[in-house]
Amino acid sequence: MAVALTPGGRGRALRGSGLDRVLPVLMLGPALFLVLGVIVYPLFDGLRSSTGFYRFGRLVRDVGLDNYKQAFADPLFTEALLTTLRFVVLAVTIELLLGLGLALLVARERRFIRRIRATLLLPMIVTPVVVGIVFRLIYASDVGLLASLAHAVGLSPPQILSNGGGAFAGLVILDVWEWTPLMFLILLAGIQSMPVEPFEAALVDGATGWRTFIDHTLPLLRPTILVAVTLRAIDALTTFDQVYVLTRGGPGTSTQLISIYGYQTFFQFQQVGYAAAMLFMVALVFLVGSGFAVGLMRRRPA
Amino acid sequence: MTGSSSPLVPAAVPQPGPSRGDRLRGLGWLIATIAAIAFAITPVISMLLTSLKSNREITQETSLVPQALTSANYVSLFSGREFGAYLTNSILVTSISVLIALVVGTQAAYVLARFRLRGGVDRYIGFALLMVRLLPPIVIIIPIFLAAQGLGLLNTRLSLIVVYAAFNVTIVVWMMESFFREIPVDLEEAAMVDGDTRFTAFRRIVLPLAAPGLVATGIFAVITTYNEFLFALVLTSTPGAETMPVGAATLIGRINVDWGAMSAAGVIGALPIVVFSIAVQRHLVRGLTMGAVK
Repeated sequence: MAVALTPGGRGRALRGSGLDRVLPVLMLGPALFLVLGVIVYPLFDGLRSSTGFYRFGRLVRDVGLDNYKQAFADPLFTEALLTTLRFVVLAVTIELLLGLGLALLVARERRFIRRIRATLLLPMIVTPVVVGIVFRLIYASDVGLLASLAHAVGLSPPQILSNGGGAFAGLVILDVWEWTPLMFLILLAGIQSMPVEPFEAALVDGATGWRTFIDHTLPLLRPTILVAVTLRAIDALTTFDQVYVLTRGGPGTSTQLISIYGYQTFFQFQQVGYAAAMLFMVALVFLVGSGFAVGLMRRRPA
Repeated sequence: MTGSSSPLVPAAVPQPGPSRGDRLRGLGWLIATIAAIAFAITPVISMLLTSLKSNREITQETSLVPQALTSANYVSLFSGREFGAYLTNSILVTSISVLIALVVGTQAAYVLARFRLRGGVDRYIGFALLMVRLLPPIVIIIPIFLAAQGLGLLNTRLSLIVVYAAFNVTIVVWMMESFFREIPVDLEEAAMVDGDTRFTAFRRIVLPLAAPGLVATGIFAVITTYNEFLFALVLTSTPGAETMPVGAATLIGRINVDWGAMSAAGVIGALPIVVFSIAVQRHLVRGLTMGAVK
């Protein structure tokens, strides 16, 4: 790849000699080589596997789009998609409402924010696998935190992970615990960087709190909300670690997210081509979503 | 600055002591602070307490606080099981891959921040790297597994280092590019007029100025890499290469009701990264929010 050298941003011709002319290539090369070889190439390699039929991990023959057709005829696949969608919508909505509400409440209390911020980072830092363990212990029907609390007030211990609805709700709550702080911090930063003039004007005009929120806060905050929700949603779409530890997709298929189903199709059922087709479709959804997110972020003034 | 002091009262005017309303407000915020902190730490603390109980106490007593502290659960992780090996693997894999990514990634970020490549290639590269940075591991897990198998790299730390280095490069480029943009071009140009080449100007002038960004980036990369599970689960299966999250998760899969060992595994699993985060707390907020948002 030939490159022209113009020092960024300015027209000033400031060129070193010799080595400096190829410097950008030398400095960019290793990074591109790593990323192309380890991430981008496998993505296309996966696309190729998705049209194959494998036996014992070896490619037997090319089957065209059959794996994709199989996916849409597979009730477990559609169910996993729906479960994932329900999980993402529910978790991200709750996180947005809680995070936004909290951020609006405390935006001006800088002392309060300073005191709690470091602690709020804890759920994000703790290893996701360990988050799964934490909640498995909480939900444990005989010995968990909930069981102890129920015992203390004289109730029978709740059975959470042994029934489908309970396990799904338990997973959503886990996600809310883990990610509401991030949502809160992003929205808080957004609120704190809003200009004050519209709010002063609204105050002078005697607008009510609610009207000010609808007319000024929400429109000004919209870009931040969009970015936060999109990022969180594409991340939640492929939640894996916590489910793997908490329920492994069970009981039944109640918490079988698409990532878990894809993983099992490959590693337990050894259906290489089918799993690759499934995961490639997930990649497509992701690419659209993240393309959207990246576009949004680029439009924001840096 | 507190929210309760009125901006309309000049600072010189002596203000009356805190009124009853102010004190009530203060109490309200204190309660709110405690509630927020409790929300974040209660689940983790309850795991910690469980890990210090004997299994008999866990199943027979229902008190939250341990009656007789025991370290038996922890001892079993290191003597009977391989948690020492997991810890070594995690530290090696994380530190080496992050170091590689910092070296390789800052250079690339510098080029993207400072040069206009022919045909606007730099913008496409920046865009593509950001997309890749968000790419969920699950979508390339099959080809990565097959490639590692083909190369005979299954069950090696090397395979994890390579994969993590690549993902970390995307993080480093994305974060460092914006740090470099904040540094005025004139400084390098002055150095180059004084006889530096561009590369030495980058090393001598730009890198030291970008050090805070480098630290924030490194912290974010260390946390995400240590915590990574899926690649490690798929690529490794023996204590010679398994990382902490894999060790903890597979232990959980094998023991079903050994709650003591389970909670101790959880504590040990998260301890290194929590300790690390506390040690670098000063830079943590910037690193985490930048990495997650920008």
